[in-house]
Amino acid sequence: MIISARGLTKRFGDFVAVDDLTLGIEPGTIFAFLGANGSGKSTTIRMLIGLLKPTAGQIELDGVDVIRHPRAVRDRIGYMGQKVSLYQGLSLRENVEFYAGLVSLSGAALEQRWGALRERFELGDAEAERPENLPAGIRQRAGLAVATLHQPRVLFLDEPTAGVDVHNRAVFWDLIQEEAGTGVTVFVTTHFLEEVDYCDRAAFIDAGKLLVDATPEELRRRYSGGYRIRVGVAPGALEPAASALRAAGYTWCAEADGSELTIEALHPAALAALHSATRGAPVSIDQPAMADVFRRLVSAGAPP
Amino acid sequence: MNGQRVLTLMRREARATLRDPFTVGMLVAVPLAALLVFGFTISADVKGLVLGIHDASQTPSSRRLLADIEANGQFKPRRFADRSAIERALVGGQISAAVIIPPSFDRALRDAPGTAAAEVQVLYDGAETTTAGNAEAFLRGMIGASIASLTARGGAPQPGAAPPRGVAVVSRVLFNPTLDGTPYMVAGTFGFVLTFLTTLITAVSIVNERLQGTFEQLQVTPATSLEIFLGKVLPLGGVFAVDVGLMVLAAGVIMGAWPNGSIPFFIAVSSFYVLTSLALGLVISATSSSPAEAVQKTVLTSIPLVQLSGFAFPIRNMPLPVQWVAEIFPATHYIRVSRAIYLRGEGPLELLPELAMLLVFGLLLMGVALRSMEARA
Repeated sequence: MIISARGLTKRFGDFVAVDDLTLGIEPGTIFAFLGANGSGKSTTIRMLIGLLKPTAGQIELDGVDVIRHPRAVRDRIGYMGQKVSLYQGLSLRENVEFYAGLVSLSGAALEQRWGALRERFELGDAEAERPENLPAGIRQRAGLAVATLHQPRVLFLDEPTAGVDVHNRAVFWDLIQEEAGTGVTVFVTTHFLEEVDYCDRAAFIDAGKLLVDATPEELRRRYSGGYRIRVGVAPGALEPAASALRAAGYTWCAEADGSELTIEALHPAALAALHSATRGAPVSIDQPAMADVFRRLVSAGAPP
Repeated sequence: MNGQRVLTLMRREARATLRDPFTVGMLVAVPLAALLVFGFTISADVKGLVLGIHDASQTPSSRRLLADIEANGQFKPRRFADRSAIERALVGGQISAAVIIPPSFDRALRDAPGTAAAEVQVLYDGAETTTAGNAEAFLRGMIGASIASLTARGGAPQPGAAPPRGVAVVSRVLFNPTLDGTPYMVAGTFGFVLTFLTTLITAVSIVNERLQGTFEQLQVTPATSLEIFLGKVLPLGGVFAVDVGLMVLAAGVIMGAWPNGSIPFFIAVSSFYVLTSLALGLVISATSSSPAEAVQKTVLTSIPLVQLSGFAFPIRNMPLPVQWVAEIFPATHYIRVSRAIYLRGEGPLELLPELAMLLVFGLLLMGVALRSMEARA
């Protein structure tokens, strides 16, 4: 595990912001940490990166005890908060030089690293601009580039796509996935629930308690009405297809304009049965919205 | 104009104001504090001044003169065994003025007028021009009247002697003999500027960075709190050190008010004091949730700091509890040092106690500023 938290608790007076939270994250994982406002997401991140001392519990990050040695993890992590933390009044290039100076990156090493990031994040035109003059999407990319300047092992992103348009969010997630592809672990919070599908795992927190920690597919299987598959089957082929699917263990509901199948998850076996039973028929698959998953999850108050 | 709308707007404004405890506290506390500070504590009159007395005559006449001074109630008399002890107390600030009655006082009361056989000396610290001027005028008048009364009552011990008129009241000013108020105010202004401006500038720095998210970003870099602290205060400290140099130059060239002591020493002390004030600003900033709150706190902190630090009004005129409070302000000690260098030309050795106090306050505030940057509650 690159991130391991056990029994993590944070109290502010009588208020329990995070309650006995346990997490374990493998290297290279994109881990989505979700919850409503005030659910304890930011408090958890602040504890994981050593900015806030937990009331109880243990945290280990890349083998370092974060509670005992909060500073020791700082050259292993990159962080990007909700507000892109670039200094106004300094150009992007000056910001890069400033943050590079804090991680002892300078000279040819800086030029090489920044040159690569500038190209990959498409920031060449923005380099001389001040952050306050940049569009939100470019500013977010610049913030991510600066956060990864020192090649951290773990990236913490606290609502990194807030206020960014759909196109730039997609570009941003491509960059995050590229980072994860190089072995970087990404711990990300977001309010855009559909972004969970960019992630390998997602955890939901509510009132400081962890409700669930699973893959997006597993979350859908457990907390949704399942995938809805509509099949346009010719009337004569309806019954044979239904029989084949029933034999494979799936429910088939005949509709006036065709037929509808509901399955919990898109298992290869289900797809194979569907293919053989409805050969040549038009098929449309509705994926359960993650917002529905979240709604059901919170109302159910599911245990992890 | 729609009265209903005005009422609606007024209701919202009143609710917003009254629901903010800080604002309510400020609205109530500031006028009361200002009233007490300006009306009760701060005074340039002579009432309550500690007056050193040395009676070298020790005769019934001199005792009567001293009894008249004590009975007047304006001063707090303190007896000294000799003249040098009185001068030391004046330099050290334990007394504001002094009266020295010569050994020949009794005999001189019987001398012919104009012979000036004896001089009752009134000594005072001319560095505090306003108070010194008031005290001197008051003492001269009072002593003159008392001597006249002694003469009229036949205060001299031998009846039938010639009318005693051989006593003159002379004043002697220690430091700033011309009673020029400019150096006094110039030296104090350094305290005012370096206290208020430095605190105000740093007070908004962290809170602004926190709002922009850059402070949190800074905290997750390998930079330590000490590095962040030094990175913030040293550049500003450098700028203010240059400012101090410019102020010294401007006061000297334009107003003719040069320090009597060492200019490099003055700039060195001032630069350290700047770091202390910057640290106070950082503490305010780190404990504020918005720039507006930081500015309000700075103003609230700076007003008593400046008013009770001796910048405009002598601390020794203030009630004793307020004098104790004034001692916990770094500005009080800096202004004393500044005036001592400007007016009395004192150096590090003479100012050791005040410098030690400045050092203690400076290190304390810098320590608190460092702690406030840790943010690991």
